[in-house]
Order: sequence, then structure tokens, then C-alpha cells
Amino acid sequence: MRQRKFWSWLWVALAFTYFLLPLVATFLFSLRGKKGVLSFLAYRRVFDDPQFLSTFGFSLEMAILTVAAGFLLMVPTTIWIELKAPKLRSLIEALSYLPFVIPPIVLVFGLIRMYSRPPFALVSTPALLVAGYIVISFPYMYRSISAGLQAIHLKILMEAAQSLGASWISAVLRIVLPNIRSALLSAALLTFAIVIGELTLAVMLAWPAFGPYMALVGRDRAYEPAALAILSFLLTWLSVAVMHAVTRGGERSDSGAGAVH
Amino acid sequence: MKNPINGRAAKPLSPFAYLGVLPFLLFALAFMLLPSGALLFGAFQDAHGRLTFANIVALFDPSILNSYAISIQVSAATAVGGVVAGFLLAHAITMGRLPKAVRSFVVTFSGVASNFAGVPLAFAFISTFGRVGMVTFILKQLFGISLYDSGFNLYSFWGLTITYIYFQIPLMVLIISPTLDGMKREWREAAENLGAGAFRYWLRVGFPILLPSLLSSLVLLFGNAFGAYATAYALTGGLINLVPILIGAQIRGNVLYNPNLGYALALGMVVVMAVALAAYVAMQRLTAGWLK
Amino acid sequence: MNSVKRLVLAAAILAGASALAFAGGSKEAATPAATGAAMTAAPTGMEALIAAAKKEGQLTVIALPHDWVNYGEMISTFEKKYGIRINELNPDGSSGEELQSIKANEGNKGPQAPDVIDVGLAFGPQAKAAGLLAPYKVSTWNTIPDSVKDAEGYWYGDYYGVLAFEVNTSVVKNVPKEWSDLLKPEYKGKIALAGDPRTATQAILTVAAAALANGGGFDNAAPGLQFFNKLNREGNFVPVIAVPGTIASGETPITIRWDYNALANRDRSAGNPPIDVVVPQSGVLAGVYVQGISAYAPHPNAAKLWEEFLYSDEGQLIWLKGYGHPVRFNDLANRKLIPAELAAKLPPAEAYAKAVFPTLAQEEAAQKYIVANWDSVVNVNVAKQ
Repeated sequence: MRQRKFWSWLWVALAFTYFLLPLVATFLFSLRGKKGVLSFLAYRRVFDDPQFLSTFGFSLEMAILTVAAGFLLMVPTTIWIELKAPKLRSLIEALSYLPFVIPPIVLVFGLIRMYSRPPFALVSTPALLVAGYIVISFPYMYRSISAGLQAIHLKILMEAAQSLGASWISAVLRIVLPNIRSALLSAALLTFAIVIGELTLAVMLAWPAFGPYMALVGRDRAYEPAALAILSFLLTWLSVAVMHAVTRGGERSDSGAGAVH
Repeated sequence: MKNPINGRAAKPLSPFAYLGVLPFLLFALAFMLLPSGALLFGAFQDAHGRLTFANIVALFDPSILNSYAISIQVSAATAVGGVVAGFLLAHAITMGRLPKAVRSFVVTFSGVASNFAGVPLAFAFISTFGRVGMVTFILKQLFGISLYDSGFNLYSFWGLTITYIYFQIPLMVLIISPTLDGMKREWREAAENLGAGAFRYWLRVGFPILLPSLLSSLVLLFGNAFGAYATAYALTGGLINLVPILIGAQIRGNVLYNPNLGYALALGMVVVMAVALAAYVAMQRLTAGWLK
Repeated sequence: MNSVKRLVLAAAILAGASALAFAGGSKEAATPAATGAAMTAAPTGMEALIAAAKKEGQLTVIALPHDWVNYGEMISTFEKKYGIRINELNPDGSSGEELQSIKANEGNKGPQAPDVIDVGLAFGPQAKAAGLLAPYKVSTWNTIPDSVKDAEGYWYGDYYGVLAFEVNTSVVKNVPKEWSDLLKPEYKGKIALAGDPRTATQAILTVAAAALANGGGFDNAAPGLQFFNKLNREGNFVPVIAVPGTIASGETPITIRWDYNALANRDRSAGNPPIDVVVPQSGVLAGVYVQGISAYAPHPNAAKLWEEFLYSDEGQLIWLKGYGHPVRFNDLANRKLIPAELAAKLPPAEAYAKAVFPTLAQEEAAQKYIVANWDSVVNVNVAKQ
């Protein structure tokens, strides 16, 4: 046991070093805003820009909407596939890899062309942006939720719950969802991170999102982009930590019954 | 398809079964397939809209084939690296008997880092491992080692790989942790009681059970890297030829240059992904047999 | 939170999202389109134009970074002067993206559709040929040199600059003065382009300038590609797109870009880092950018007013403040309208005396050649190390 603990700590420490180094380097560079001394001048300049918080707030809003709408679409669908239509699993899985190979620029121009005229003039509504974000985060969302459902052997669980008298809906809400909490959290975190930093869709659909703001700052300023990178990392961390805390209780070291698929 | 628990043959799919996936299919059609499909037809058109295979033929130009090769290599290398390193990290935090807080921290960090890609990541790595980067500098000052003189170069295939892995590992951690949770501790203890050490446990019990998940994670990480280009573009200035960068150059560059070629390139990416998926399905079938 | 509450919350979110999605449709009302008719605006026409533009209330521009020839001041001055709000699309975009955006937004009257574009010279005729532009002749049309405008008024030059070396002098003590200097071993790993030579005008023309300096020309850009091939082989070339951050950090302490961008960066850095801007002795290439109004512009009158503003004395001097030579520079100089302090801040006139202005045909030829051959000639051979 102790041996295992040692290796675990070692791995975490190694990983931590790898992940920390670039962040430290960025942070150190961001402190060079004033000549010759270390100062937070670059950070002050970022905060002085009202666009920083307003674009972050906008992307935050979009991220929450995307996670919510995405879950509403994907969770029932994935549960359905596992229970009633396992044959469709390969089709949906294949579809889920499609967003990787559709260049975002192709997708966004296609969305603009299709939805810029009545009767589907959605191009200036946030809904189209959210829909685009759901498409982009689809692979991660589907994979997380589906892996979570498979890990708990859904069919057996449902049969057990129903044989104990629970209705279909009740079984899903009370048994299934709590058991896949960590998978849902993974899906939410991944989607969240994707939306906050997303660039192409937001730029072409003309939304004041965080990604385009970061690209703009990076283009013309020397030290502010580094400060911005650190700040966006911290802010995203904060939002994610809040989300994590709100849904705490999901880490279970053993769950479900039967073999893991 | 047999039910793995009781061996009964699965019931044939009734039309009713498709009803549940209808909302999703409609969504996919409306916001993914149709918008991109219409443009992908452009792969078979020339600048005036006439049907042609010239773009497809152009895909076999050596420089374009080279860029496919490089894209596939980078994606495969970072997928494998990400799966291995991510698995070890995920294992450490789920089954490594570490305090809960560590897992919480790593999961949160992974959530943030999984999309810390593009310009900020490239710049972070340039600041670290570039010619005047922090690590380069420290190695020179403290140890007298000149990183770049000994052949290292961030602006290369391997430099790109270690940069990409920064967002591949967190992705793997997030994807595989719930699955690792599902591996019952009892199995490990039972195996130990039967005299199997850690190695044999993993060889006979652990990995076979995890193999399907590992394989699908491999494909996911491959796809994740395959479609990414912002990081590569910021890191190597569009000089290392990845297919998404080429697509960008065709579609976003000179308007009459050849967006149709860009669509053909995208179609090529779809084909590569399909091949990867087919290989994955084949591997699944093969290893399912081992499980029996 | 128990499952019922969660379900209610989810439903509320969905309802909210749907409400957002289907309420109200577009962000702004459709405007009457009045595209196409070329008109030479007479003074009284100006008042009518201003009124019509104000009625439209908005203008959508694309790919105009605030620090690029002082567009920041141009935009804010216009907004204050006429009370017309400007939507800024894709400030980071390339000339090609601007054209693609017009094309993709053909039927769209929303703020994703650009009204006006500012693109490299070679992109003007292409946009015209693809039917993406609407002709318009500003009131100061006659003072624009013929060589940089389309006779029918589809596109017209706005400002120009020359390609110069931008050097971070805290890292590079010995500033290169010539193209051939760049090949010296002391500059190993220090030189980078400021864009992708397959899509960005600035980078493409840098290669053409190298061709000029090495015995080639616009119809023979091969020496330029050879130069960069050599630069790469010698190890002097860094394949990172140079941005102010990489210049300041010392990763790309030498880059080649438009003098107005280099000078603006020099001023903005204020010594941190200290930057020197040098126009090379040979291979001095001047690049002209051109304006155009989109054929599908949702706010055509605002677009015309914007053009009038840009080509007014006031607008042209704002560009000059940003170190861009406005296309009506000679006219302004003749009428003694250029303030002395402003003239003093510009690079010396001798540097511009040797500037070569490629004609349209030359630029197109060079562009085609460079874009097609960059990969094969200069390709960073990504051999595994």
C-alpha cells in the first residue's frame, strides 16, 4: 500500500511540475510591464479595460447555457440509447467524432448561410452561438456521459430499481443521475473550458466573447497578453471550482454493480 | 448482440426506439450536418461551381500528403502520450490512496487546462522553452547546458508534441477518472488474496477491463489533436504543415485562391477520422474476444 | 438539492434559453438596401448622406485593429462626430477573411456582415471580380493618385507604408541595416515574419521585398523565397509569427513589418523594450491598402459616410498620426496642411525616395507565386529530432 502511495505522489508531483512551468514563465513575463522592475502594471492595464470583465462575463453566461442545453439534449438521449437502442450506439459515437474534423470556420460560415434569412433568421440570436458550441463540445460531452453510464451498468441498475417499484422517471432521476455525477462533472468542465476560450464562432457571429478579446489583446500588446492569460486561467479556475463545489459528493470509489464495460 | 450478463440475444430494434434519439438527430442535422455538408459539397466543385474531381486529385500532391502525414503523426503521438500519462495521473488520484483534496484539485485543474490551448499556451511554452525561455535560461545559468545547442528546438515536431500534451493529459484525466471509479476495489483485493501482485492484477484483470475505455480515449485524444490548429499556428507561424492550417490558408486567405481545395482537405480529414474509427471498432471486436 | 428541484431548475434554464433563442430574432431592424449606384457626392449631397447614415445608426467594420495606423482614433472620432455606432468585427482578421466574410454574409443584414473593408492592394480587384463590392467615389476622389484606384470606383487606395526592420535593441545591440545583414551569424535564431506568408499580405510582401533586394522583382519572386530558405538553413529564421509579446521577450527580436506598425509599437513600448525601426537600404517595398464598400452592405449610407470621413483632410491626418502615409499625402503637403510636429515624427523622406510601389499586376503575380511556392521552397522539414 505504501509503495502505491509513493508512486502516486511521485506522479502527481511530476505532472504538477510539467503543468506549472509554463504558467510560471507566463507569470514572470507578465510582471515585466514596467522597465527594470517587477510590477503588476500589465494587470492594472487589463483591469482598466472594461472589455475584460464584460467579455468574460458574456462567455461565462454562454458556457452555462451551453452546459445546460447540452445536458438537456445529451443526457436523455444517451440514457435512451443505452437502454432502448444499443444498436444505435455506434452511429451516435461516429457522429460524435465529426466535430473534430469539421473546421470551425467551415461550420460557422455554414451556420451563417443557413440561418441568416427568414424563416430561420437565427444568426443574430445567442441561440445559434449556443447551438454551435454544443456541436463543438459534443464529442467530449457524449463520451463522458456515455462512459459514465456504461461504468454503472445502466440496464441492470434500471431493472433493479424498477423491480423495487420505482417508476422509469424516478429511477433515472434518483438512481442513475446521482451515480454518474463525476461523469457529468467531467462533461460540464470540458464544455465550460471549451466555450470560455472559443474563438472562431464568436468572432464570425460577432459576439463580444472572451476568446476574440484575448486574441485582440495578444495582437498589439507585449505584456498584457501574458497577464490576460494568467487572469483568464485564474478566473476559469474560480468558476470551475465553484461548479465543482456545488456538485460535490460525486466521487465514489465504487458504484453500480456488475462488470465495467 | 448478446447481453453480456445473461446471454440473451438483444431484441430487434422497434421503430419506437428511434423516437428517443429523434431530438438529438434533428439537432445534429440542423446545426452540424447540413451547415457543414453544404460546404463540403464544394470539395467537388471548382471556382465556378462546376462538378470536378480536380480538388480531390490535388490532395495527392506530395506537400499535401506530407501535411496529412505530419498531422496524423502529431495527433497519434500526443494521443498515445496523453493516454499513457493521463492514465497514470488519473490512476494516482483515484486509486492511489491520496487525499480527496488532491483529486479535487487535479480535476479542477484539468477542467481549466483541457482548453488552455491556442495562443496563450503557445506563448507560455515559448516563454518556457523558447530560445530565451525561462527553462532555457535557467539551464544555461545554473548548469551551463545550452538547450538549443544540444539540438532541442521548440519549433519542431517534438516541441509541438510536448505543447499539445498540455491539453491532452487533462482531457484524459477527466475522461478516464469516472471509469476508474467504477473499477471495484474489491477486485484488486481479491486478486491480492489469491496471490496476484500488482503487475499480474493489471495484466489479467485491470487492463482487459479497461481496454475498451482506453481505446476510445485514444480515438478521442487523436481527434482532439487532429482538429486543433490554433496552438500550432501560434507556435510555428503556419510553417509546420498541419492540415487544419492548410485549410485555413485556403479558405481564409486569398479569396480566389482555392476554397474548394480547402473543402477537399476537410473531406480528407473526415476520411482519416473514419479510418481511425474503423481501426478502433476492429480493435474493440478483437479485444472483446480476449475478455471472454 | 433534490431531484425535483433540479428538474425545475433545468426546465427554467431551458425555458430561458428558448426565450432568448426565439424572442425578437435579429439584433437590429433590417435597413433599406440602397446598394450599387455610384455617385460622386456634391456638397449638398453630403448633408443628405449624413442624414441617411445617421438614420441607419450603425456601421460594421472588419479587421481594423486599433493600433493599426491609428484606427482606434479614427473609429472613436467618427463615432463622436456623427453619433453612429461602429461594430468592430474580427480585428485580427486577414484580407482574405474580410472577403470571405462578405461572401458568407450575403443575405445577412445583421451585424456579422461587414459594410466596408480595408484590404491589401491585390485583394481589391479580386473582390471586384467576385462581385463583392459596390462602387463609390468620394468627394475628394480627384486627389487620389490614379495608380492606386479603380477607375470605376470599386476600390481605392487609403494609406501606404514601407516594410522596415523592427529591432528590439535590448537584445540585439548591432542593428541590421540591410537585407544581407540578416544573414549574418550574429542573428542566429532572431528573425521572424510578422504573419503567415500564405495568407497575410504583410508577410507575402516581405518575401517580395527580399526578392527585390536580391536581384529579383515582382515577376521573379524566386530570389525572395531563396533568401528565406537560406535564412532558415542558417538557423537565423524563427518560425514563430512575431507579435509585440515575442518581440519584447526577445524570442523574435528582429522582425520585418510595415513601418507604421513598427513605429506604433516603438511608441507604445516607451523604451520597454527599446525598439529601433530601420528602413533597409535596398529592397524598399511600399504597400498600399485599399478601401471598398461591400455590395451586400446592410448600412450602405453609413459606409459611404465612413469613406467620406476617411478621405477628408481630418481622416487622412489621423492616419498620418498613426505613421501611415495617407494616399492624399502630396495633396495635403501642397496645401501646407501637415502639422510640423507630425512631420517630424515620421521617418526621413529619403527612406521613402527609394520605395518601389508595385503595380497591381506585379503584386498579384508576386502573391500568386509566393503563396504557391512557400511550402515547397522554404518548408520547415519537420524531421523528427
